[in-house]
Amino acid sequence: MSATAVGMPKLGMTMTEGRVVAWPVPLGGRVEKDAVVLVIESEKAEIEIESPAAGHLRHVYVPADRTVPCGTLLAALTTTMDEAFDADAFRRDHDRPERTVVTPAPRADRAVASGAARQDGAASRAAPITPAARALARDLGIDVAVVAGTGPQGRVTREDVEAHAAARERLVPVGGGVSLEVLGQGSGEPVVLIPGFGSDGSAFALQVPALVAGHRVLAVNPRGAGLSDAPDEPVYTVATAARELLAAAGGPAHLVGASLGAAVAMEAALQGPERVRSLALITPFVSASPRLLAVLESWCRVATESSAETLAATLLPWLFSTDHLADDRARGRTLRGLAQMLARVAPSSLARHAAGLRVWSGTRASDLQRLRVPVLVVAGSEDLLTPDARDVADAIPDSQFLAIGDAGHAVALEQPETVNAALVRHLRGR
Amino acid sequence: MSRQLPMVAAINEALHVALASDPTVIVLGEDVAGGGGRQDQGIEEAWGGIMGATKGLIKAFGAERVRDTPISEMGFLGAAVGAALTGLRPVAELMFIDFIGVSLDPLLNQAAKLRYMFGGKAKVPLTVRTSTGAGLRSAAQHSQSLYNITTSIPGLKTVIPSNPADAKGLLLAAIRDDDPVVFCEPKSLMFKKGEVPEGDYMVPLGKAALAREGGDVSLVAFGAMVDVALAAAAALAEEGVSAEVLDLRSLQPLDEAAILATLAKTGKVVVVDEAPPRCGIASDVAALCVDAGFDSLNGPVRRVTAPHTPVPFSAVLEDAYRPTAARVAETVRGMLG
Repeated sequence: MSATAVGMPKLGMTMTEGRVVAWPVPLGGRVEKDAVVLVIESEKAEIEIESPAAGHLRHVYVPADRTVPCGTLLAALTTTMDEAFDADAFRRDHDRPERTVVTPAPRADRAVASGAARQDGAASRAAPITPAARALARDLGIDVAVVAGTGPQGRVTREDVEAHAAARERLVPVGGGVSLEVLGQGSGEPVVLIPGFGSDGSAFALQVPALVAGHRVLAVNPRGAGLSDAPDEPVYTVATAARELLAAAGGPAHLVGASLGAAVAMEAALQGPERVRSLALITPFVSASPRLLAVLESWCRVATESSAETLAATLLPWLFSTDHLADDRARGRTLRGLAQMLARVAPSSLARHAAGLRVWSGTRASDLQRLRVPVLVVAGSEDLLTPDARDVADAIPDSQFLAIGDAGHAVALEQPETVNAALVRHLRGR
Repeated sequence: MSRQLPMVAAINEALHVALASDPTVIVLGEDVAGGGGRQDQGIEEAWGGIMGATKGLIKAFGAERVRDTPISEMGFLGAAVGAALTGLRPVAELMFIDFIGVSLDPLLNQAAKLRYMFGGKAKVPLTVRTSTGAGLRSAAQHSQSLYNITTSIPGLKTVIPSNPADAKGLLLAAIRDDDPVVFCEPKSLMFKKGEVPEGDYMVPLGKAALAREGGDVSLVAFGAMVDVALAAAAALAEEGVSAEVLDLRSLQPLDEAAILATLAKTGKVVVVDEAPPRCGIASDVAALCVDAGFDSLNGPVRRVTAPHTPVPFSAVLEDAYRPTAARVAETVRGMLG
């Protein structure tokens, strides 16, 4: 009864690192001694690694597709599945990377981890901070607990505080003591991007390059996303979100909203018709489907109880089309990006947004006919969450409806070219 | 026209300048004149010191001012302190700093204390030249870097050049200083050439020099470790890391302002010292950074030193013992993450 380490082997003097290609044995599965337990790639050759012992694949430390230095602990085998095993202690004893290799992946992990620290508040912050960073934060009046660290072991450095200070300048007061983070670029007629539930402005990362030509593009982070404030109120109503959005936009603007962001955009157009030039509603709804409400409930729970990575994995099947899910590479990439974005949203704010959504749901169905601005409605043909997008389009007098194939609820991420072309056409006045 | 001279020749030149410009300067020590130093025996030029640093002095200035002594460090350092108290400016050669053990009292309890104990009415303008450091396969008793001992004694000054030009200027400043100065000569640099100005000039005691400018990290070094730090900085530059190299030159007085200035500039300090880590200069500089420069620290202060062991005789082990540019660069990489 003992655990055996599976490490990244050093197969030649020049080999310093290797990539994990696959774990042919499922987690918990049994492997015999000398049977293939792992496939790695080194210097462009795939190599099958034989198991050093018979046992069960008890814990995988390094998933497929990650490149790590020789000596890094990759997995642990135990003789039986029910014997005691402490994964962290085992890693301390057996993880012996040859030297530090800086790969993008750990950096991303750090960003996610520090994003998570942000939500837990100052008391539980684990990331260390340099004295210079602390002194600068004190001088600038910045709470170090909300600064994400990028130094070794997630240490908050002077540069991190400087970056945070620069970001803080993007905060726009929207009334009631609340400030929202507005990320702006380009110049021209303002186009305001409103992300959906639990997302931040980066949800439109693939749209911004197409829109920035000829427009002032403003991505507004809702309460709790990025650096935006997250006041402790039981409900963030859609009406409040719309009012704050119009305040953040400054003057008349084209609004582009996705999902809950589309609800906010519609609400803003009803509240202040003179301040809205046009609407682009991506996967909108007027009445939340039972499935949408159920997904939001699990979203809130997983976000509070687990990591951003787990939340991303939970949401992926609900947001993307079959084709996207079938593509391993794309799925892995999306998962990482999604986890990073989700980490930037405070879990505590999600229930308040969800409550606002429930309150708003169904209240504006008969008002849509009052909208007088040009409206583009974009739907994903495989969208599981907002099946009434077509009804929204039908209810609005001056509307155009576009259903995009091979796309789920996250249509703007899945089919950016088609969405961008439609948006550009719409903003040009069709 | 620039002249390239090894450090030993720059030191020899400084001694010539000092003896010629001030009749009170004398040189004494084991073999500084010749094997026995007897003009009447015709062997006055046999040695000129173990490295040849005092070669030619007896011919130029005579056996009265350039004196061989018996092999008794306690004896000739005591004599040098007495000579200094009574109006001369002696330059004594302690062949290896390792021998400080048998000669410490004249330095520790006499030279260092007398100005204080006589209320400033006495002075001890003594210079002790001594060789330090490893790298010449001289084993445990002839390779130590004990400048931390002299630096720790109030009343003594300790300097250590990293290049021939500084060696000449620092030695002249040391000889002309009215307090006892221990002048450390890094053995591994003695035959390395560098540009040396002509004539009489001094490098002020207590002033560090920027050996290389940079913005990402500060490498604080002295003596033979300056070249190591410069080589590390060159390697790091190829990776896009801009390292600044500060050459302390004086260990006491210590140029604290220069250390704190480079720390304030880069926020990250690596101190490179070929001595062992305990109670050493690297620890001392690190303590200064944390104590007086805390709010400038944008990362941990790191020390790259020899291990806490005697210097090994095995060539392989001796090379592994001394800090290398690779170790310094690796330390920096670890700090930048």
